Amino acid sequence: MDQIPSRKGGGKKEIMDITAWVFYGFAAIAIGSALLLVSMRNVARSLFLFFIVLFSVAGLYVFALADFVAITQILVYVGGVLVLMLFAFMLSNKELLNDLQMGTSHFFALPVWQSVILAASFLSILIYASLHLGTHEPAWILSSRESGAILTPTDQTVQHLGVQIMTRYLLPFEIISVLLMMALIGAAHLTRKEANP
Amino acid sequence: MVFYITYMIVGMVLFGFIAGFTLFAVYSERKIAGFVQDRLGPMETGKHGALQTVADILKLIQKEFITPAAADKILFVAAPVVIFIAVFLGFAVMPWAPGLAPSALNLGLFYVIAIISVDAIGLLMAGWGSNNKFSLLGSMRAVAQIVSYEIPSGLALISAVMITQTLNMQEIVVNQGIASEEALRFLGLWDVSGIGGLLAWNVFQAPHLLIAYVIFFIASLAECNRAPFDIPEAESELVGGFHTEYGGLRFAFVFLAEYALMFLVAMIGVVVFLGGWNTPLPNIGAVRLADWTTGWVWGIFWTLSKTLLIVGIQMWIRWTLPRLRADQLMSLCWKVLTPFAFLCMAISGIWRIGVMV
Repeated sequence: MDQIPSRKGGGKKEIMDITAWVFYGFAAIAIGSALLLVSMRNVARSLFLFFIVLFSVAGLYVFALADFVAITQILVYVGGVLVLMLFAFMLSNKELLNDLQMGTSHFFALPVWQSVILAASFLSILIYASLHLGTHEPAWILSSRESGAILTPTDQTVQHLGVQIMTRYLLPFEIISVLLMMALIGAAHLTRKEANP
Repeated sequence: MVFYITYMIVGMVLFGFIAGFTLFAVYSERKIAGFVQDRLGPMETGKHGALQTVADILKLIQKEFITPAAADKILFVAAPVVIFIAVFLGFAVMPWAPGLAPSALNLGLFYVIAIISVDAIGLLMAGWGSNNKFSLLGSMRAVAQIVSYEIPSGLALISAVMITQTLNMQEIVVNQGIASEEALRFLGLWDVSGIGGLLAWNVFQAPHLLIAYVIFFIASLAECNRAPFDIPEAESELVGGFHTEYGGLRFAFVFLAEYALMFLVAMIGVVVFLGGWNTPLPNIGAVRLADWTTGWVWGIFWTLSKTLLIVGIQMWIRWTLPRLRADQLMSLCWKVLTPFAFLCMAISGIWRIGVMV
């Protein structure tokens, strides 16, 4: 967060404040709707709330200068995965949904103690990391700040990404594409009609 | 602070433009329908029925908000807003003239493709929120169609982006006219950097983009749920599709979104393939037609006239071709348009390496 004022080039304090407010606004919407999402019984509404969560997280990515990731999030998760989830929900059996909606109604019920442990340990890691990084910055961040190898808001991030994917991360990229191809072929095979005997 | 006020004014001007365009487009659509079907169209209100759509919108504004008793109230009310905002946000990056775009985003084209897909969520909201079989079926058909046709349209756009090498809408346009700093070649052979005009447009720089544009145009018709791809609102089967339960101002917003989306996809096609704000007139020797007709006002004029021409063709097609069946629609998308779009993409790669060196 402390980088936002320095990016704007100083002097325009008023504008910086508005940027920070927008950031906290997005963060508040993301957290608030995520909380509402998990505590809601109505599956349809919580799926649409998930849309708001994804959208506001995409907004937060923009503040991290990851505009490509932000737009990809909207394209893939909102336009693809979420639509798929909604379809799966709308086409599924009503009894199944009733089972899903019954469950335990308390926020802290005993059957969910495993998830409480998971959430608590994850939260403690996050708090530890943010406290630790606040005092001891990693060497690579310090060195790249000194050498001036940092992104500015007007940089072409997609060009960096393209060059990196086709050179440094070529092998993982190819492996992922083969994996996706396998998934596509598998899906096409599953939907085929059985051959007539 | 002035900054933010300017942004707000730009947003309001765009909204005003969309509203004005919709009024005009609905009137012209009726007149075109009348012409195609050999009748007169609206004639009663005003001279030649010119005030018909104004009267319609006045009626819609006055109507009561009716929410069905069994509807999911929140989703039902939010849906038209989401549908319209998704389309409206797309206009944020569209270039109108040299240096005149609401936002010169580096990832402009990618952003537009992504934001249009949010429309699908709004449609599902409307369909589910209405709690009505026809609405739900209509919205499912609409979303299935939008999700499928995004693939050929996206691939067609990518094949153009591979030629222009940028996702910034403003740079895509600059690379198609006399303002370009790179050498432009007509059909990859004849250097037309100083001549410009029609010859420097993307579709003529690389001829396979003509096929890509046709694919994009067909897919864009399906994305706006326009005939011949309007099975989501097939009135003989589904009453009114996903907006069966909507009335008054809410219906007006759904309608506004449809026409705004028509204009938006037509404009994307114009910007990416047909030269955007560049003039179609080339420089011929001492007659510097391209130089004379490039500029601020001319830019807006060319963008508008090209886009309105494409919108006109969309309407012409709507009233000419019969509706496709659901299975025909899907086989057209997956068996015809998608392979051809992939082919265009492959040719773009070869073109970039082999011809544009």
